[in-house]
Amino acid sequence: MTTTRRGFLIAGGAAIALLRATGARAQQPAALVPGKDRLIVRSPRPINLETRLGDLTAYHTPDDVFFVRNNYDAAPIAPAQWSMKIEGEVDNPRVLRLDDLQKLSMFTQDVTLECAGNGRSFHKPRASGIQWENGAVGNAAWKGVRLADVLRLARPRPTGRHVAFDGLDRPPTPQAPDFIRSVPIWKALEPHTMIALEMNGKPLPHLHGGPARAIVPGFVGSASVKWLERIIVLADEFDGFYMKSNYTAPRADNDKEIYSLQSLEVKSVIVGPTEGAKLPAGRTTVWGWAWSGEGELTGIDVSTDGGQSWSPGTFTGRWDRYSWRKWEAEWDARPGAHTVMARASDSLGRIQPTSRTFNRLGYRWNVIHAVKVDVA
Amino acid sequence: MWRSLRPAALLAVTAWMVLGLRLALASAQNTPIPQTPGWELVMRCVICHSVEVAVQQRFGPRGWSDTLDRMIKYGAPIPPEDKETLLVYLLRHYRDPAGR
Repeated sequence: MTTTRRGFLIAGGAAIALLRATGARAQQPAALVPGKDRLIVRSPRPINLETRLGDLTAYHTPDDVFFVRNNYDAAPIAPAQWSMKIEGEVDNPRVLRLDDLQKLSMFTQDVTLECAGNGRSFHKPRASGIQWENGAVGNAAWKGVRLADVLRLARPRPTGRHVAFDGLDRPPTPQAPDFIRSVPIWKALEPHTMIALEMNGKPLPHLHGGPARAIVPGFVGSASVKWLERIIVLADEFDGFYMKSNYTAPRADNDKEIYSLQSLEVKSVIVGPTEGAKLPAGRTTVWGWAWSGEGELTGIDVSTDGGQSWSPGTFTGRWDRYSWRKWEAEWDARPGAHTVMARASDSLGRIQPTSRTFNRLGYRWNVIHAVKVDVA
Repeated sequence: MWRSLRPAALLAVTAWMVLGLRLALASAQNTPIPQTPGWELVMRCVICHSVEVAVQQRFGPRGWSDTLDRMIKYGAPIPPEDKETLLVYLLRHYRDPAGR
């Protein structure tokens, strides 16, 4: 046994003994994160917090109920201390501070972020990873600068075909892989892809990646790397664990090959009525949110008889190119037990499926959402 | 740094681990960790992540073995002679019969 390992074991053993001596036992925590006490704690370290579906009532998800997904945690950094390098396949490597970004043209857009593993807990057998139900999704107004404008300052070379993001989050041991994700250059230069400095009208909170994070609209949430400290222009997709192993799924046409996840799936959730609701007979409104990654929503169908028959719902309210859309459908509810379902479709010809082939890491869960209700 | 671990450093690390363990246990929302033989080994996992990350998983023998190998590669302080004990513990409490 190495001295290193012995040190760890001695400390670990002492910690456990102390814990026993001080009578520690499972108890209800004070809020793990101040202001986030309504969220479900999936993991306190790294911090992973899930939104309750019933709290997704507003088009803009308020910060205090917006989900948090961290592969590793990061120490807070004062905005004045923050800087970010741009390097790799560029002619003019740069180090930028916040005031450098603030000199660029700013814009605001509504973007829905969803964790790639949202819905993982519904896979059978259980898939590996944080066991999210439906609430690793939220929609916010993000204000910032176009990534294309930032990259232009560094003059990318024609050989630059991918752009990797590295944040201030650090793995707990030197041997564990750093969390680095890359996106293809077409997506990096797309005018919606941004470095966000504000969320819902306020400086970006630390838990959501402040002072500055990537927002890669339409892609799985992990592309939108938080606490940016380094942007690397690369000839090839980044060769690291979080591109080549995690956030991958088998190809639909050849399950022996895997690919690094990009676009979100077309998906919808029912917010009202809630699972197990008891409703009075009569007219009621079924409603929720739908989104579709790189596609554009083309329809929402609703069933109140467990999928035997479907009727079109309608989209309503405000929306943006990469935001979710509110949908609703009127229902004349008759007494009895009912299963309410919603099924979205998009411009890429995708429609929510009735099942999803198991994949080891539990991604791509967009199976039709169903809630059971009793009408009296 | 561990090679020159001194008593003061050891104390600091122990205190840090106690805090981590307390946080992990205090915030547990799932079933408390069964204290059957091998449970102390699970506690070594919380040096890097909270216990929830481990106990919300369900695998079969290969899945847990691969996971432990990966964690050991990443620096988990689980010596080879303890791996089997931990594997048995995890399969006893956190097994998915349909899992790999």
